[in-house]
Amino acid sequence: MGNILVITELQRGKIREASYELLSFAKKIAAAKGHSVCSVVLGKDVAAEAEAFAKRSGGPVYTVANPVLENYNVDAYCTAIQAAVDKAKPELILVSHTPSGWDFAPRIAARLDAGFVSDCFNIDATGDLVFVRRVFGGKMDARVAVKSTPVVATFQPGATEACQDSAAGSVEALDVAIDAGALRTKFVEVKAPQAKGVDLTKAEIIVSGGRALGGADKFKEVIEPLAEALGGVVGASRPVVDAGWLPHERQVGSTGQVVSPKLYIAAGISGAIQHVVGMKGAQFIVAINKDPDAPIFEVASLGVVGDLFEIVPALTKAIKAAKG
Amino acid sequence: MKILVYLKQVPHQDARLDVSGDGTWIKEENIKFEINSYDSYALEEALKIKDQDATSEVIVVSAGPERVVQALRQALGMGADRAIHVRDDSVDATDALGLAKTLANVAKAEKPDVIFMGFMSDDGNFAAIAPMVAELFGVPHATAVIALTRNGDTFIAERELEGGNLEVVELKAPCLIAVQTGINQVRYASLKGIMQAKKKPVDPKSAGDLGVAGQLAAKVAIEKIYVPAKSATAEILQGSADEIAEKLVAKIKELGLL
Repeated sequence: MGNILVITELQRGKIREASYELLSFAKKIAAAKGHSVCSVVLGKDVAAEAEAFAKRSGGPVYTVANPVLENYNVDAYCTAIQAAVDKAKPELILVSHTPSGWDFAPRIAARLDAGFVSDCFNIDATGDLVFVRRVFGGKMDARVAVKSTPVVATFQPGATEACQDSAAGSVEALDVAIDAGALRTKFVEVKAPQAKGVDLTKAEIIVSGGRALGGADKFKEVIEPLAEALGGVVGASRPVVDAGWLPHERQVGSTGQVVSPKLYIAAGISGAIQHVVGMKGAQFIVAINKDPDAPIFEVASLGVVGDLFEIVPALTKAIKAAKG
Repeated sequence: MKILVYLKQVPHQDARLDVSGDGTWIKEENIKFEINSYDSYALEEALKIKDQDATSEVIVVSAGPERVVQALRQALGMGADRAIHVRDDSVDATDALGLAKTLANVAKAEKPDVIFMGFMSDDGNFAAIAPMVAELFGVPHATAVIALTRNGDTFIAERELEGGNLEVVELKAPCLIAVQTGINQVRYASLKGIMQAKKKPVDPKSAGDLGVAGQLAAKVAIEKIYVPAKSATAEILQGSADEIAEKLVAKIKELGLL
């Protein structure tokens, strides 16, 4: 039967955990469909990591080693991956949904005239292959069926366990010419995050507001007094920061700060994945939202279905009264 | 500069979503639509270039049924010069690659210096179209761009990575930039702009006009959408605002935080 090609990803010289998770999905599909798994490792120095990967993957592990692959570059990556695709002729290409994966995977799909499905968190290989992913920011799930192959699919990091198998794989270096001068997108640098004026990660109590607040003035009127009464700090979801109501340093989520306070109050936040990733480690979560179906209630310890403009001021008043 | 902006019209973020009769998408009747949030930032990035260089032309393109004209009119009201409405059932029924082929052919006909798109859509969340269009149009691209500066035909883009890191890349026009939300502050259409927009052209195009008729068979298709089974549900507090507040205070005391 056909091949499944796993595109691994190096981070600081090591293959990411997410690549071993891809391997778990690849093996599950291979077992159900009678496919074989092969992989590719691309980077500057790849030999040791390719050997390590082969010991868990089995099958051939192709390598493309080139100094221009040290930092992510879409043109260089596409050239290297194309070489592995030519070798493996895969039915299915699996990629992690990471900042590099989501950048090159659709481009590879278009180059190969292949189907594309992204950010999957599960598969169903019992019948025709189906990918499961979220849509509408987590409000709905979708089952996406493959109509024709090849297909390129990206997977959410953390969606499954990393593959821990022992296997006897082989490493094969591919000779790929990459013309550094012909790269159209040029890597300049990676900038580390700047020191934050507010460190939400150390806060014991965080009161966060979402898009439902409607404006910066409402944060001052409604959210800040509650945070102050509790001796906590103010946080926010991404739309609030995007709209400029609060500075970026207040953002809780995968692209902001990942927090783990003793108490997290989420007011008017629907609970998109990107926010939940940043706050699900809180010890106690109170969610206030007018939509009873909001995904935030799935991670909350206590929920209030109602109008935050009534509930939050009432809570502020009650806390002040309790403190005397 | 000649600038192409792709806009998708999506269900309003506060719209109530109900699964359609065939189970493959939501019911579109009786809900409000809006410009995809990411795309409104893409449009703003284009209009900023036009602010600096009045000779620039901003062309907005959208695909979908008659309702998307409203999104195009809004973009024209904000300052875009003209609009292309791709209106064809075969385009609406295709997958990401089919739509990308269609849009790449719009680009091949218009030959823009830069294409701005949103990094992903608020409804499908695929984040697929932008790199595909760049590949098929034969230009470089950058995704998840949260800051952009331009010097002539050279763009310096900052891409959002994990953990707050930013990857800085340089690319030259012609190119495609897929923007992240928050890259700028999106303007509102002025009354004058809205009046002027009524006179601006909206050109309808079919799959045949764009040379993609018969090439749009979907390679992947949503077979079912559904509200995910709740893994856990919070205990929901009932009562008046004051009663709920009292219960919350009791809980916060119990946690030793008051």
